[in-house]
Amino acid sequence: MSAFTQQETSAVAESTETINTTKALALINSQAPFACSDGKDSLDIALIFASFEQGVSLFFQGDGVYQLIDKQNGSLISVKDYLKTFAAFEFYDIEDIYICQQSLAERKLASSFHIDNVQILTVKDFAVQLVQHKHILRF
Amino acid sequence: MNKLAVVVTTPPYSNLTITAIDYVETALSLGVDVIGVFFYQDGAIQANSNVTIASDEYQAIQQWTRLHQQYQLPLHLCITAAEKRGVQCDSTTNTEQSNANEVFTISGLGELVELSTNATRLVQF
Repeated sequence: MSAFTQQETSAVAESTETINTTKALALINSQAPFACSDGKDSLDIALIFASFEQGVSLFFQGDGVYQLIDKQNGSLISVKDYLKTFAAFEFYDIEDIYICQQSLAERKLASSFHIDNVQILTVKDFAVQLVQHKHILRF
Repeated sequence: MNKLAVVVTTPPYSNLTITAIDYVETALSLGVDVIGVFFYQDGAIQANSNVTIASDEYQAIQQWTRLHQQYQLPLHLCITAAEKRGVQCDSTTNTEQSNANEVFTISGLGELVELSTNATRLVQF
């Protein structure tokens, strides 16, 4: 599936050319929260990078957008609810949190998230933000 | 000079690990400065000495060991990921009880920060 039109691809390529890697790490979260530990493993990396004052941004894409949906309760299925830790992002100065609009739309999810200060971006803007980072890890 | 760091999240029985090893070895043989490999998630299983893979299958752990010995390639093991997967790497454990392959350096996520700071490029498998 190509989510990009040719125009969008060249727009992203353009911003790559004038690349200004302002932040150290982009973490792409692509898995739903409770079936596997990817979300928690990604969160651990985010908090460590933030502790070392390395700029880290969080990107939620595909089933990863489920990590932000509010009123979830992991304890009902005896899973440690790591989503509660998202409330600490402000304390860690993790301020750049991006959500893929298309991923929300595909899943018919409303924009009711359990943390504030998130930005919903089109696929193109999502990609433009992504290339501002020196490194990308995906979970 | 360009510096490469690699993150491995796949277990020794995964075909994706073979790709990672081929990638790292090709980089090394071309003279790329590979500053380290960080083993995270199921990648930590690579350090478990008790893992036995059928002899007619790809021996990923032997290959990591060889790359470490041949190129002094640093292999960093995330201790939290390793311990939850049965790799005993507590420094208080005596060496007879430890099942952590000694070619791996016991590290934490702080080492990943270090690698990403020093690397021109970070590649995840």
